[in-house]
Amino acid sequence: MAIGWYLAVSAFVFCIGAAGVLTRRSPLVVLLCLELMLNAGNLALIAFSRMHGNGDGQIFALIVMVVAACEVTVGLGLIVAMYRRRLPIDVDRMRDLRG
Amino acid sequence: MGLSILIWLPVVSALIAAVFPRELTPRVALGGALGTLALAIGYVASFERGAPGLQFLTDETWIAELGIHYKLGLDGLNLFLVLLTALLFAGAFAWANRREWERPKLFFFQFALAETAVLGAFLAQDLALFVAFFDLMLIPFYFLIGAWGGPGRVAATTKLVIYTLVGSLLMLAGAVATGVIAARGEGSVTFVLSELQLVQLPEGSQNWIFLCFAAAFLVKMPVFPLHGWMPDGYRAMPLPVLAVFSAVLSKVAAYGFLRIVLPLFPEASVHFQDLMLVLALLSILYGSVMAFTQTDARLILGYSSVAQLGFIVLGIFALNAQGAQGALLQMVNHGLVVAPAFFIVAVLAERAGGSEDIRDMGGIALRAPLLAAMFLIVALANLAMPGSANFVGEFLILLGVFDAKLVFAIVAFGGVVLASVYTLRAFIRTMHNRTGERVESRELALAEALVIVPLVGAIVALSLYPQLPLARSEDSVRASVRTAAAIAEPPPAAPSTPGGPAAPGQPVPPQGAPPAQGGAP
Amino acid sequence: MSATTYGWLVLAFPLAGTVVISLLYNRLPGRTAGWIGTGAIAASFLSALGALFMLLDHGREERQLVGTLYDYADTVGVDAQLSILIDPLSVLMALVVTGVSALIHLYSVAYLASDRGYSRFFAYLNFFVFSMLVLVLAGNFLLLIVGWAFVGAASYLLISFWYRRATATSAGIKAFVINVIGDVGLVLGTYFIFKHTGTLDFLGTFEKVPDEFATNDGDLVAGCILLLVGACAKSAQVPLHTWLPDAMEGPTTVSALIHAATMVTAGVYLIARMHPLFEQAPVAADVGAVIGCVTLILAATIAMAVTDLKRVIAYSTMSQIGYMVMGVSAGAYAAGLFHLMTHAFFKALLFMAAGSLIGAMAGTQSLDRMGGFRRAMPFTFGCFVVGGLALAGVPPFSGFFSKDEILLLVGDRGGWHWILYAVGYAGSLLTAIYTFRMIFRAFLGDPVPEARELEQGHVHHAGTPTNPMTGEEEDTDVGFPGPEHHIAERSLPMKVAMGALAVGAVVGGVVQIPHVTEVLHDFLEPTFSESELYEAHPSGGLTAFGLALGAVVALAGIAIAHRVWVQRPGTADRVRARLSGLHRVLVNRWYFDEAYDAAIVRPAAAVGRFAQQTFERLFVERTLMGGATGIVRAGSSAVRAAQNGFLRYYAALLLLGLAALAFYFLLAAT
Repeated sequence: MAIGWYLAVSAFVFCIGAAGVLTRRSPLVVLLCLELMLNAGNLALIAFSRMHGNGDGQIFALIVMVVAACEVTVGLGLIVAMYRRRLPIDVDRMRDLRG
Repeated sequence: MGLSILIWLPVVSALIAAVFPRELTPRVALGGALGTLALAIGYVASFERGAPGLQFLTDETWIAELGIHYKLGLDGLNLFLVLLTALLFAGAFAWANRREWERPKLFFFQFALAETAVLGAFLAQDLALFVAFFDLMLIPFYFLIGAWGGPGRVAATTKLVIYTLVGSLLMLAGAVATGVIAARGEGSVTFVLSELQLVQLPEGSQNWIFLCFAAAFLVKMPVFPLHGWMPDGYRAMPLPVLAVFSAVLSKVAAYGFLRIVLPLFPEASVHFQDLMLVLALLSILYGSVMAFTQTDARLILGYSSVAQLGFIVLGIFALNAQGAQGALLQMVNHGLVVAPAFFIVAVLAERAGGSEDIRDMGGIALRAPLLAAMFLIVALANLAMPGSANFVGEFLILLGVFDAKLVFAIVAFGGVVLASVYTLRAFIRTMHNRTGERVESRELALAEALVIVPLVGAIVALSLYPQLPLARSEDSVRASVRTAAAIAEPPPAAPSTPGGPAAPGQPVPPQGAPPAQGGAP
Repeated sequence: MSATTYGWLVLAFPLAGTVVISLLYNRLPGRTAGWIGTGAIAASFLSALGALFMLLDHGREERQLVGTLYDYADTVGVDAQLSILIDPLSVLMALVVTGVSALIHLYSVAYLASDRGYSRFFAYLNFFVFSMLVLVLAGNFLLLIVGWAFVGAASYLLISFWYRRATATSAGIKAFVINVIGDVGLVLGTYFIFKHTGTLDFLGTFEKVPDEFATNDGDLVAGCILLLVGACAKSAQVPLHTWLPDAMEGPTTVSALIHAATMVTAGVYLIARMHPLFEQAPVAADVGAVIGCVTLILAATIAMAVTDLKRVIAYSTMSQIGYMVMGVSAGAYAAGLFHLMTHAFFKALLFMAAGSLIGAMAGTQSLDRMGGFRRAMPFTFGCFVVGGLALAGVPPFSGFFSKDEILLLVGDRGGWHWILYAVGYAGSLLTAIYTFRMIFRAFLGDPVPEARELEQGHVHHAGTPTNPMTGEEEDTDVGFPGPEHHIAERSLPMKVAMGALAVGAVVGGVVQIPHVTEVLHDFLEPTFSESELYEAHPSGGLTAFGLALGAVVALAGIAIAHRVWVQRPGTADRVRARLSGLHRVLVNRWYFDEAYDAAIVRPAAAVGRFAQQTFERLFVERTLMGGATGIVRAGSSAVRAAQNGFLRYYAALLLLGLAALAFYFLLAAT
């Protein structure tokens, strides 16, 4: 199939993820949407790899998955810590780190 | 190599002191300061009188693409200022050893960093290096005042730092512009002062660059009307910090005028001479009047410093050798007088139940004759009583201004009378008259006397032999002022009569007043 | 040893005295400090004698010798060395200063014996003598100015010796500030002269004066008038005289030494030393003569009305110095210096006697409370009479010859100088009147309680010590006078000192009887050799007339005083009632203090208040500093607004930025 379809799907998923990050208030959902964005990127990478015929894109996608996994670990850990301290699980209300 | 050791020794010894346990840190840091002092004395002793140019030169290329050199050198202009710095910082370190500080390792590190920066600023012979050290000077004081100061320190620090940095920023712009404009036509950019002096910048550029440098220096000194940071700053600083801040940092700015501004921007100096003289006069009069009405002992000294720095600026911008020699001598004198003055203020406050307000003091001389004698000598030196080196400095300054612009000299003498009024008033209100209510008079303790007496001894020694710094600085001062003086008062075309009493190299003819220029206001 | 070596010794002994006493101040038992101080000055006097003899060894042409120690400030065209000038004028001054000072030190050994600040007093007193000697021996302008200022500092320290008294410290600062005004005049005058001569050395300057300056050259006149400002401030001449009466706050020996015999004569010395300059600028010299004349008559009128014993003597000093200033300004150099010498003798004597009398009164100085001490204090009375006769100018006492010589030479100048001549004699009349008013009021008439106590053999003792001016209570610790009061009748050192001065006051006139002995005139000739006015020789007729007039005026004044205050006791009160307006003006010292207060002190304080409360607050803090910091603060607030802590806001910014970047590259690619 033409690469354009894959890229379209990737863009579509990316936009859904971005919209979710920008509009949802629960950090858990934000992380979820972040995952969506990352995986959309992965999809694009694999598609390009298929187009060029070498494995560079696939290896890059693997690395992205590693990074995503680490980042989710940290993020979930933060959410659990917030929950344990009975802080509001709301991205708009956690704003002490400001100028 | 040699001068670099002098500059970096304080910081290195503070780092070494940080390794020691916190009770010993102050002593080790003091040792470093005393070592620096010994080195400085050694340099002064081995300085060759009459040898032209810089001595003990260190010249390494630092940033080749920008033509910035790590160049250090001693000559008549900075010789005694370096000695003054080392001496006063040693005294301040000794004073800081009298009490416990929170986080002493950090405190002494910052203090030593301040000494390093000041020494670097005095010894730098490269414009970019000078600007770097000048700005570096501010950082340790930000911490010293902000973390260890008295009440109101945060607001005072913020004001002080922002105000000074605005000036410094302008100076940086000016310095960069100088390097760039001087390079046009030459090819490569250079910031080395000796090379910049050979280039003549166009007058328009000189004017705005002069204003940038002047802004930075005038804020630092401080000079009316840019002295707004002084009252809060002086109230908030811890005392040994205040002593060196008032005594030494202001001199870097005044020295900057002589080292950088007058040689590099002579046309602009002449162009703005009247403005600077007026500002200096206003400083003298305003500072004296304010000192006369204050009751906080620190502010009396602060406004007195504004007036004294006014005299120094007056001498510099007389744009002749006498005024500049007087200004340079007065820089050393004022620093040497104001540091023990602040220490004495601390001693007085301790005997007046902790208050630094002179209304709470009085009659402290009753059981403290040594303290009274020290304070009297410092006070008489501060008001430039003839017989003190301060008088010689003022005599030369006013003689220089008298030759250049008569009216300014006459008005400046009013400042001399006012100085005697406010200084003696402070002395009498604290030491004489009836004993204040919370006052318990006692003599100087050994720790206090060990700092104050040697400094007062230095004042007396300098008063007996002011020729010591004067002889060594004469050539450098003449070189610094030469171009500007020639523009301000061009020497006559015909040679003066042979056998006249003029000292060699003096541009003004010995006979009669210069035509129509000497007396014209 | 050469004359200049003796000159350095003259300076070295008092300096050594000061240093030794200061270092050992609390380890010297009893009166040791006093004896060290007196010994130092006596040694200095002997060295001055040595210098005199060495100087006389030189031929008349070579009697101006300079000795230099080292370069003090020799740079950028200024040539100030540490050098002294030994010539007849400086040797004369040194002899007078050291001689009278030695006697006053001797007197003080006993007079201040019970004061807790005894050592400090002698350290200060020696320092003063050292400073005065620096002043008279200086060989260049800078060292002169240094000596001038040191003398002012010593005067301040001694006036406020009893430093816990507010009246003493305010008198001290007033004296010091007026002295600084004089210093400023002196420095500025030096500048005007240096501008043309290029040298600070005296001999070098005097050589150049005829070449560099035309007669009455503007710069020279300005310079000389500024030097006069310095002289007036130091010698308490109008209008810079207001500090001298207040200076009586110091111990009486201080008044004797500084404010009668030595410091206040510095102005006279200055004008005499600078005579080449003044003769080349006659306008300035005339101004000096007029100032001297105005002062002498003004001070004499005030002395008629004041009732504080020491202040009467102070105003009489001011008046006599007016004579001296008038004399040296008009060219009567030897006469002026002669009067300086005799005045030192009899004025110091008068002050010492006053000190003894005040001691008998346990510190009170008011004439209103004194009376009838003649029987109780015969020696003091005798000294008062001797001093008074010399002051009034009764022949053959010394004051007669010296004062008349001045007036003679002034009158001989002719022209408008006759006015000065007439005023001078009017002043003489007033001098005799107020001097004997003081003596008759204090010693004749009915004895007051303190006198009766003394006749019984017991010196009066005040219950609680108080400030004689304000009545405030004090104690007798450091900073206030000691508990005991000393009188001459009971103290040998005091008697010896007063006796020696009395002898000087009586026979001192011998050295300069006109047309008979001209010892002083001959001795001083080398200093004044180029002066045209020095060789003025008034006619025998004028001389005789002057001497006769002087004697008559003095005796008439004594007679008037006797009539008013002894024979017809109510007369003084009646006169005062009739001329109450004039009396008020005189008692208020012609309102000079009030004028200065209104014209200078109050406006300065107002300016200071304005600066502090208004200007500093509004302009400097709000506008200038507030402006700079305000701009920086505003800028940083604007930037801070971007860091608002909202996660989604950051994310949105991120995406927007990314989109913009992508858009840009997209466009750039097409």
